[in-house]
Amino acid sequence: MTTQRTSGRRKQALAAAAAVAGMLTMAACGGGNDGGGSKSGAAGFDAANNKVAQADQVKKGGTLKFVTAQDADSWDTTRGYYGFMWDFSRYYSRQLLTYKTEPGAKGAELTPDLATDTGKVSADGKTYTFTLRDGVTWEDGKAITSQDIKYGIERVWAQDVLSGGPIYLQQMLDPKGTYKGPYKDTSKDKLGLKAIDTPDAKTIVFHLPKANSDFAQVLAMVTASPVRQDKDTKSKYGLKPFSSGPYKFESYSPGKNLVLVRNTSWKASSDPVRKAYPDKITLDISTNQSDMDQRLINGDYDIDASQTGLGPQGRTIALKQHKDNLDNPVSGFIRYAVFPQSVKPFDNIECRKAVIYAADHVSLQTARGGPIAGGDIGTNMLPPSIPGGEGQKYDPYKIAGANKTGNDDLAKQALKACGQPNGFKTTIAVRNNKTQEVATATSLQAALKKVGIQADIYQYDGSQSAGIIGSPSNVAKKKLGIIIMGWGPDFPTVQGYGIPLWSSNYILQSGNNNYALIKDKTIDGLFDQYNSELDATKKTAIATEINHKVSDGAYYLPFTFERLLNWRSSRIANVYTTNAYSGYYDFVNIGLKSSK
Amino acid sequence: MLAYLLRRLFAAAVMLAVIILVVFSIFFLVPKWAGVDIATSFVGKQADPAAVEAVRTKLGLSDPIFIQVWHFFKGIFVGRTYAAGGDVTHCSAPCFGYSFRSEQAVWPVLTDRFPVTLGLALGAAVLWLVFGVAAGVLSALKRGSMWDRSAMVIALGGVSLPIYFTGLLSLAIFSYGLGWIDGKYVPLSQSVGGYLGGMILPWVTLAFLYAAMYARITRATMLEILGEDYIRTARAKGLKEQVVIGKHAMRSTMTPILTMLGMDLGALIGGAILTETTFSLPGLGQAVLTAIKNQDLPIILGVTLITSLAVLIANLVVDVLYAVIDPRVRLA
Amino acid sequence: MTAPLHEPTAEAAPSAAEEAAAASAGEKAVQGRSLGRIAWERLKRDKLALTGGIVVLVLVVVALLAPVITNLIGQDPDVYHEGLIDPLFSTPKGSLGGISGDHLLGVEPVNGRDIFARILYGARISLLVGFLSAIVAVVLGTVLGILAGFFGGWVDSVISRIMDGLLAFPQLLFIIALVSVMPNEMLGLSGSSVRVFVMILVIGFFGWPYIGRVVRGQTLSMREREYVEAARSLGAGQFYILFKELLPNLVAPIIVYTTMMIPTNILTEAALSFLGVGVKPPTSSWGQMLSTAIDYYDSDPMFMVVPGVAIFITVLAFNLFGDGVRDALDPKGSR
Repeated sequence: MTTQRTSGRRKQALAAAAAVAGMLTMAACGGGNDGGGSKSGAAGFDAANNKVAQADQVKKGGTLKFVTAQDADSWDTTRGYYGFMWDFSRYYSRQLLTYKTEPGAKGAELTPDLATDTGKVSADGKTYTFTLRDGVTWEDGKAITSQDIKYGIERVWAQDVLSGGPIYLQQMLDPKGTYKGPYKDTSKDKLGLKAIDTPDAKTIVFHLPKANSDFAQVLAMVTASPVRQDKDTKSKYGLKPFSSGPYKFESYSPGKNLVLVRNTSWKASSDPVRKAYPDKITLDISTNQSDMDQRLINGDYDIDASQTGLGPQGRTIALKQHKDNLDNPVSGFIRYAVFPQSVKPFDNIECRKAVIYAADHVSLQTARGGPIAGGDIGTNMLPPSIPGGEGQKYDPYKIAGANKTGNDDLAKQALKACGQPNGFKTTIAVRNNKTQEVATATSLQAALKKVGIQADIYQYDGSQSAGIIGSPSNVAKKKLGIIIMGWGPDFPTVQGYGIPLWSSNYILQSGNNNYALIKDKTIDGLFDQYNSELDATKKTAIATEINHKVSDGAYYLPFTFERLLNWRSSRIANVYTTNAYSGYYDFVNIGLKSSK
Repeated sequence: MLAYLLRRLFAAAVMLAVIILVVFSIFFLVPKWAGVDIATSFVGKQADPAAVEAVRTKLGLSDPIFIQVWHFFKGIFVGRTYAAGGDVTHCSAPCFGYSFRSEQAVWPVLTDRFPVTLGLALGAAVLWLVFGVAAGVLSALKRGSMWDRSAMVIALGGVSLPIYFTGLLSLAIFSYGLGWIDGKYVPLSQSVGGYLGGMILPWVTLAFLYAAMYARITRATMLEILGEDYIRTARAKGLKEQVVIGKHAMRSTMTPILTMLGMDLGALIGGAILTETTFSLPGLGQAVLTAIKNQDLPIILGVTLITSLAVLIANLVVDVLYAVIDPRVRLA
Repeated sequence: MTAPLHEPTAEAAPSAAEEAAAASAGEKAVQGRSLGRIAWERLKRDKLALTGGIVVLVLVVVALLAPVITNLIGQDPDVYHEGLIDPLFSTPKGSLGGISGDHLLGVEPVNGRDIFARILYGARISLLVGFLSAIVAVVLGTVLGILAGFFGGWVDSVISRIMDGLLAFPQLLFIIALVSVMPNEMLGLSGSSVRVFVMILVIGFFGWPYIGRVVRGQTLSMREREYVEAARSLGAGQFYILFKELLPNLVAPIIVYTTMMIPTNILTEAALSFLGVGVKPPTSSWGQMLSTAIDYYDSDPMFMVVPGVAIFITVLAFNLFGDGVRDALDPKGSR
């Protein structure tokens, strides 16, 4: 299943590359030749997209220079939630399991890291046992023990001090919240969490109250990293985490820069995953996207750490003059509009369909940045990079087909069926700090006007999303009938993507993400079925079914299956994108071509 | 004079307290009217209500505003202790608290970033004063000439375009295009040349924005003053034109210029937000913009305090200078 | 620098005929020629100022007639023309930002909306905000500044401290906070007009201390001058001195400030739109267009040039006109 999907994806990517080559007058060079490249030494357009670029040119040493327009939310392994922080944190943290350092779909598969194997799972799927590898150490040379891992995981429970990170571990190991976290732990060793046993320093056993087939995925998340108790600076830990990986923090000024240097205690022999090519890794935080893009193009920096792609200005320059330095992978994100059922008339599926039919999907795609920078037109709600995702193959509303530029007749029919033949008034809620989202809102507004739906645009402060659109009562009160949003997977499965969006158990009074307020017993049932299913093929089938149920319910108007347009400098080698981190480059094994 | 100063300083202290109180109120009351729970911005996705509650307690968001303001000022003078969920931290005076986001102490952030902003403001002020005032004087003396007109048109070009525009354009031309200047900020302590290279574009762009205002005001005031009796008298006495203009006329022209300089410098020290963002200068303005976007109250408060202090002091200095420049002004 | 003050310059030199006319006019009304009339006579002779005035007038008329004009040329500011956009780069096809017979100033990137129509509609918002908020600030600033400077004592203390406080206040925080509470309807206004109304108030309110302090400073140094003392010794009332003696002397800086404030306000509006606190989409304003254009400064420079030039022309016109008025009102009549 997975390989099939990848090849389809690759075909699409190739088609896109061909389109670019055709539209630009310059010849496409370097394509397909991983070791070769252009005069500048760049590997070629899409050379690192789902494949490894210039693996043979990598040298040990040198300084790898990252830049980002936004600092991480926190570098504390328990608290970070930004995708790029997870990707980056593999430099200084290790977990029991991690993702394979391979391109594309292979990169989303799990492989042992601190553990010797992928774990022994009991037949009922409730007990997981791991043994630690020999020679794994902290940055001061002391061995990493199973207790350190347990303590690191326990920190997730201390949400009162360490807020912000994902809490899947807590939800799977202690859904009732009986444990109060290590800082309130009354036991002497602060290891009071019942669900984890550490019979000796090398063995760790997890007891799940209820089986969850994605538990191993959650163990590979950065939240499951070990933390040593005597080095735990609690809320300040993110300012200088204690390293278990090949690099350690040299200096960090939030909002300014971060410098990692080699962790001399780390032994390559103990780590089958990380290659640790550069001697030093720097991350500068810039506040001007255009300036940052320009400096990437000029060669002052190697990679945009946040992996959000070049801005409109940088994109044009890069596509015209430096195409060989670009990769255009599909990310795990879908950009969409969602219709809260609490706001009339969106309680009626026909009115939701009316909006889907009336929208001009090509215009929405252009607003997102077009086919290259924005992505392919989205047709359903499961990202193509997730097992079970079908890409544009599943298109119940012919969004990418006959109704591509909107179908006013179908929209009007749907309006009639909904009992609103003359249209209605509604409000589109959109974050004010996202230019592309505002552009999609404006496009949708213009298209809806044609069928008589008068939409007012409500812009809100993006930092208050959780309180404004994440509060169902607020949404109902303000009558926010259409919410513009985007979502990417926390881990690459249907559960990691969809459960917060579609499960009725995840409707919250604040910080809600099930904006559509979907309460569908069938969908909930399918998720339960998925969680207890251990067979990979069957899991994929269930994922597809869940997606069909959600898409058929017309709760969402997908805009794009997002694509990234990322810059890769000519200095770097062994570069590839991975599905584990939403199509980002796999930072941990990037090296330089010269040790200077 | 001393009594006057004391009175002003006392008023400034009261003003500061009021501003801090207002900032607290905006931060807490406005979301309340909008029906938004601030604590939800500080938890991860799908956090349960208990976690939201815990965060609220940790950040002290549940206390009444007056109590929080009290804690804030207490922290500055005698330090304070933070305790939440088993994590106890003592923060000694002057304690401005810890960032809600990065958890770093606010005071070092302020002291680290203040010199950057100060350097930006002072450098730009020197440029705009020199060029703005000179252009204004020349325009006034050669009123109606080509020089007068073209100086005005250039100056107005400066105020017609936002700084993020002129800044980006200057970067595009001198840094990316011609490659004369790197345009990346380097601390003065690291390299003087690097510092100047990084600051020259921000200085010029910022000065460009302000020079027009100063040129216009100088021109207008100068014209006004040249018609005054004492200038005629000075001229009639046979004083050299340089002396008449340079000594007598300039002195009176300084009053409005100083007033503006006080306000503008004060405001800029509080953070030249757009300039710092455009040029990625790690100053106070950049910090406060990020903090506002992140609802990072302690950083907002810290920077606000510095801004307010800068504005209040600058205005006080200007008022005192009035008396020095123009002996007719009495301080009362 | 030894320019004699009264050297007649080419532009200032009135023609013989004009001089004669002015002289005869002066003779006819030797007594009681009002200040306004003198000013008007002077203004009429200042061609640059008149040109500025005419441009301002034209701008206002164009803004008022925006719907009529766009109807005539058959363009709607909100209609998308995606066919004119290169999907790869999101920029208009063709040279110069897609300028054509249909689209006189080209089309916007991404969506292909007609820039000419949007500039016309944008003029309404930009002029309204720029002008009205300047008036709010000038009226507040002048009145309070004069009062503070003239009366001194506790009046001065209170007003000055309020000004200090407002200047020191973190406006951005306030403005961003405002967004989330700004209602959709208010005082019978709805949609974008609520935003425009609030923007005028906010910009004007935070702008007055600037002008207030300058006026106060000028008043301080003026109230001790000979002519004020003379008036006082002649038994003139406080308000007579304030409005007949002081205000005319303050007109010059006030006018210069007002004309300088208008562009600043237009740019503030731009920054607000940029932060998502300004006008609501799809409404256009020059500032909003300029802010959007930054992303395309190299790939579609026309999109930046058009609103930039529009703002520049407006600013220039206001300043030329303002200068003329200032010169004309100058009570010492340096001509």
